[in-house]
Amino acid sequence: MREQGPSFERRATGIEGLDRILDGGFLVSGVYIVQGPPGAGKTILANQTCFNHAAAGGRALYVTLLAESHSRMFAHLKRMAFFDESAIPDRVYYIGGYSALEAGGLEALVTLIRGAIQKHRATLLVVDGLISAQESSPTDREFKKFLHEIQTLGDLTGCTVLLLTNSQRAAEFFPEHTMVDGVLHLTDELSELRPLRHIRVLKLRGSAPVRGLHSMRITDQGLEVRPRIETRLSPGGVNEQPVAAGLKLPFGLADFDEMLRGGVRPGSVTMLLGSSGSGKTLLGMQFLSEGVRRGERVVYFGFYEQPEAILAKCQRVGIGGLKEGVERGIAQVVWHRPVEGVIDELGESLIETIRNTRPQRLFLDGIEGFERAADFPQRMSHVYSAIAQELERLGITTLYSTETRELFARTIEVPINGLSAATQNIVLLRHIEHRAAMLRVLAILKVRDDDYDARMRELRITNDGIRLLDTFAGESGVAAGGGGAVSDPHAKVPEAYPRAD
Amino acid sequence: MPTKLSILIVDDEFGLADMLREMLRESGYEVTLAINGKLALEILREGRVDLVLTDMMMPVMDGAELATAMRNDDTHRATPIIMMTSLPTARSQTDRLFDAVLRKPFTPDLLLETMAGCLAGRMESQ
Repeated sequence: MREQGPSFERRATGIEGLDRILDGGFLVSGVYIVQGPPGAGKTILANQTCFNHAAAGGRALYVTLLAESHSRMFAHLKRMAFFDESAIPDRVYYIGGYSALEAGGLEALVTLIRGAIQKHRATLLVVDGLISAQESSPTDREFKKFLHEIQTLGDLTGCTVLLLTNSQRAAEFFPEHTMVDGVLHLTDELSELRPLRHIRVLKLRGSAPVRGLHSMRITDQGLEVRPRIETRLSPGGVNEQPVAAGLKLPFGLADFDEMLRGGVRPGSVTMLLGSSGSGKTLLGMQFLSEGVRRGERVVYFGFYEQPEAILAKCQRVGIGGLKEGVERGIAQVVWHRPVEGVIDELGESLIETIRNTRPQRLFLDGIEGFERAADFPQRMSHVYSAIAQELERLGITTLYSTETRELFARTIEVPINGLSAATQNIVLLRHIEHRAAMLRVLAILKVRDDDYDARMRELRITNDGIRLLDTFAGESGVAAGGGGAVSDPHAKVPEAYPRAD
Repeated sequence: MPTKLSILIVDDEFGLADMLREMLRESGYEVTLAINGKLALEILREGRVDLVLTDMMMPVMDGAELATAMRNDDTHRATPIIMMTSLPTARSQTDRLFDAVLRKPFTPDLLLETMAGCLAGRMESQ
């Protein structure tokens, strides 16, 4: 005799990030409440799930109560990539249920839904506007009875049921929540001037959901859900194990490589810390350029300069090879606008890029770009930790630039976050006033477990690339911007190089 | 005094059918409502209907099933049927069952114009 028990077979929504949060999707025969204020994305989520379900061979039935009219809904949906009009009416079927509800109450609505499920052999049911059914119910008990009947219908027909309803706050836990297999809460709120959408699983029976808030976006592709980037990676802090031994990765700048005793170690993370315009980006690009010259795969991931602009700038100052590297497919330049981004989207883009490309060298230009896209600043440490962990796991030698706020401050603040905890090396770049001239300077502040040259060097950007000069030999206090001669009052005036534009 | 032409509106979407009923009454038609094809057939059996204005997707019996039943019935075979659809562009194989197809949302003028075209013969015989 075959025993029957609750089925834990799942039905994917086809919305990648949502399925990840839902531990693979909704349970077959499961009943779920999708709640949120008007405009939060409930209808899009439900319709997208219907069309994805139809594309996978299923049949969906969409019942509207006092919701927007079908023509209005289609007018909004037709601009979205998932909307496939040819699936209607054979695989996705829309009916209005409010007339039946008004005429015969919840009983008539259940009868109508049961008949439609059977007639259209639906395996996914959406009831849009559950609040109308609730308001038509004379008592709470009647409404619970209605939900029970819907649940039984789901069990009998193998139909997954989504009930869409308005609710302003996740904290509102209604009695009906106890009756269903899951509750998803959608929000659409402002963070300063930025609109941010989130989704949260309040309840999910028989599953291990990814809990907490996750970001959502509505684009012409439909609803995009991005689980918090830190939850995508294995738990735990940054592993502080020593980086791999072996041949170092040079920058291709003889003087600087000598200061680093050959370059940086494979798999290490190096911070380029400096003020705006101090040469961080070009030093990072020099690192990638040398990688390309050696036939390595390299990735630039930045926020402030578009790919064409940054490649042209490198060409202009004699840092060659990157454009050719892009053409040869071994160099990739990824650019994101920082302001309107969602941090999880940026994080996912980075992780996907490095997982797909498996570069030997990575340059993250302007790590603050992540912070500008953060929905909650308190998350940053976790986000950086997650990124650091992934970089370490993949053994990618990484440079990242971070900006000091002050151009001439006497003290230098090293940002402490999840990424700096994993940083083995720190290189300082900044401007100083020196003998009535503004100079760029470079110094290595830290190289973990290795020898290095701690001298401060002038960094010049010329038409032939980056040059390091011994301008400050014998001087002290240079890093603080107040350099003065201590041993050689007649320090040699540096050899002149043509400056780049 | 000429008899008013009788229109049967078949639509499950709350609000739209009521709105159309009022508008058509103001234009001089006699109007009856049904929320699905099955109820529409019952109304057709009970009395004279000059034109059917039907939605496509409905519970119990949809617009195509209603039109097929009417085309197979000698009494209603010639009754004009206008299909109202919410779908933006798609054409259906069942479109041939209808005398005209209107895509929602449509203007009152377009509706009245389409109805007048379908009812031309009937109005002459009144």
